[in-house]
Amino acid sequence: MNRALAWPRNYSAATRRNVYAWLSILPALLIVVLFTVYPVLYNLDLALHKNVLTAPGQHPFTGVKNFVDLFKNPGLLRSFKVTAQFTLIIVVGNAVLGVLIALLLNEKFLGAKILQVLILIPWAIPVVMAGIIWRWMFVGNTGVINGLLYEFGLIEQYYSFLGNPVTAQIALIIARLWKDVPLAAILLLATLQVIPPELYDAAKIDGGGVWASFRFITFPFLRPTLTVLLILETMLGFVTFDLVYVMTGGGPADATTLVAWYTYVEIFTHLNLGRGAAMAFIIALLTLIMAGFYFWALRTEEVY
Amino acid sequence: MSEKREARRWFRRPYYGTGRRMSTRKQVFLWVVTVLLALWLIGPVLWIVDASFQLDNELFSVPPHWIPQNPTLQNYQYIITRVPPPAYAFEVGVQMGHKASGEALSAIPALKNSFIVSIATMVFCTAFSVLAAYAYSRLRFPGRNFTFGFIMLSRLIPPIAVAIPFFVIIDRLHLLDTHLALILVYLAFTLPFTIWFMTKYFDFMPPDLEDAALVDGCTRLQCLIKVVIPVVAPGIAATGAFAFMNAYSEFLFAVLLTKTMASKTVPVVLSAAAINFDVSYALASTAVVLAIIPPVLFALIFRRYITSGLSMAFGK
Repeated sequence: MNRALAWPRNYSAATRRNVYAWLSILPALLIVVLFTVYPVLYNLDLALHKNVLTAPGQHPFTGVKNFVDLFKNPGLLRSFKVTAQFTLIIVVGNAVLGVLIALLLNEKFLGAKILQVLILIPWAIPVVMAGIIWRWMFVGNTGVINGLLYEFGLIEQYYSFLGNPVTAQIALIIARLWKDVPLAAILLLATLQVIPPELYDAAKIDGGGVWASFRFITFPFLRPTLTVLLILETMLGFVTFDLVYVMTGGGPADATTLVAWYTYVEIFTHLNLGRGAAMAFIIALLTLIMAGFYFWALRTEEVY
Repeated sequence: MSEKREARRWFRRPYYGTGRRMSTRKQVFLWVVTVLLALWLIGPVLWIVDASFQLDNELFSVPPHWIPQNPTLQNYQYIITRVPPPAYAFEVGVQMGHKASGEALSAIPALKNSFIVSIATMVFCTAFSVLAAYAYSRLRFPGRNFTFGFIMLSRLIPPIAVAIPFFVIIDRLHLLDTHLALILVYLAFTLPFTIWFMTKYFDFMPPDLEDAALVDGCTRLQCLIKVVIPVVAPGIAATGAFAFMNAYSEFLFAVLLTKTMASKTVPVVLSAAAINFDVSYALASTAVVLAIIPPVLFALIFRRYITSGLSMAFGK
């Protein structure tokens, strides 16, 4: 850094600027490159070889065999189906609830002020802790949700929500939304607050109803933020691992085996590094495709 | 005088959109929704706090005691001092299993590890991203767009997809089971977001202020430190808060790269307690409460900066 500052005067200003700029970005760039380029190449190498920890020392080149094996396995297809379902519900739920809550938070009354503080709490709680809290709310022996339903006379006896495939999936979705919707609402609220109020007055004068002003004023403003949220939430669908780890362990009967969990089990339980790496590649590729698709589908049109 | 004040109050009246006061029916509706939403947001937290003041025998009562009949601080006492209080003396201990309690009892050393890792990540992440973002925002230089795009794109790689190579890198650097390993990995995962965020933040700041300083003969770095940083302090606070929270909650790499209590962080220790079937719910709930206090406090203290920072980055 100091070298750049003491750069001899006879060097051109442009050179000095370039050196300063590169020295500024260097620390960040080095760390990101170290943990990006090498891992991706390493993973590719792993994926193209046979590499099972139970048979060490034998890593013949197998080409795309790991990929083919993965797709022959019905477990993987099932896991993709579960992930697609899960992701679709949390993406839609996050956007809809986020917009509704943001609209509520944007109202000018005391309740909105209080909620603006409370909404930070689920956002601040780490996913693992949120998962633990929800796991214990859903468990069959002490769960508070069982307690509530019992008190209101809705169930005769305690029920093990995490022991049934359908209710376990619902529990996972509820926990994910509880954790994620607050950030969506905060971001959307920030966007709502820059909409000039005059636009709504103009719409009113032109005789537009509530829906029309949402459709033609609010939504276009929210669209860029919604794009970011869609990408964020889709990625979360693919990487949700911690929540599965603490809440369901992928069960019952693979009902909550999301792809990230599937990969984890492939690597750390079956110790099949080659196949795990192949799986990792597929997930990374899918994420990129999804992100590209969203950018294309929700590209901001020049509306004004 | 009073007329003047009245007029001023009228001008300061919040904007209701319609120009009229909210109708009573709308107010009632909004308040009902507010109460329901508040319950949804903090109900789970209230319950876990409630549980931390009970012992296991009370927690297992059907229906549950919403207000503890025998509120106790013994869970907290046990976790903080690690000396079994009366309720956790011999027979209860046998009934609950000492191993199960062991994980919750590591909460304090785990919190210490979490703090070391999160604070170091926060400091380096803030410094690196402010430096880089300032260059990206103000200067045109060869490789600018390429490196920026590269850093942003790197964030699209799902963590699980690089789990094995990360382990290999950390192993080759002889950093397994150290704080430094986690700090490096968290930096790699947090920097793309914080650099993007700070770049947007700088973009909003008019360059006039620094132009004056530059004309006066300041170098870019002096200019950044003396003129720009004081102005963008809220954005920097938000960046720091994000980095801290990210590092504090990360789980996958914490599980992968730590082995002993020398570096195990809070999520690792608590997840082990959570999937243990004969865990003491009371003790583990208490550990969860202790673990969520720091990030929640952090978020509430930095609330102003986080929301104003987000408004800057996402507004418009």
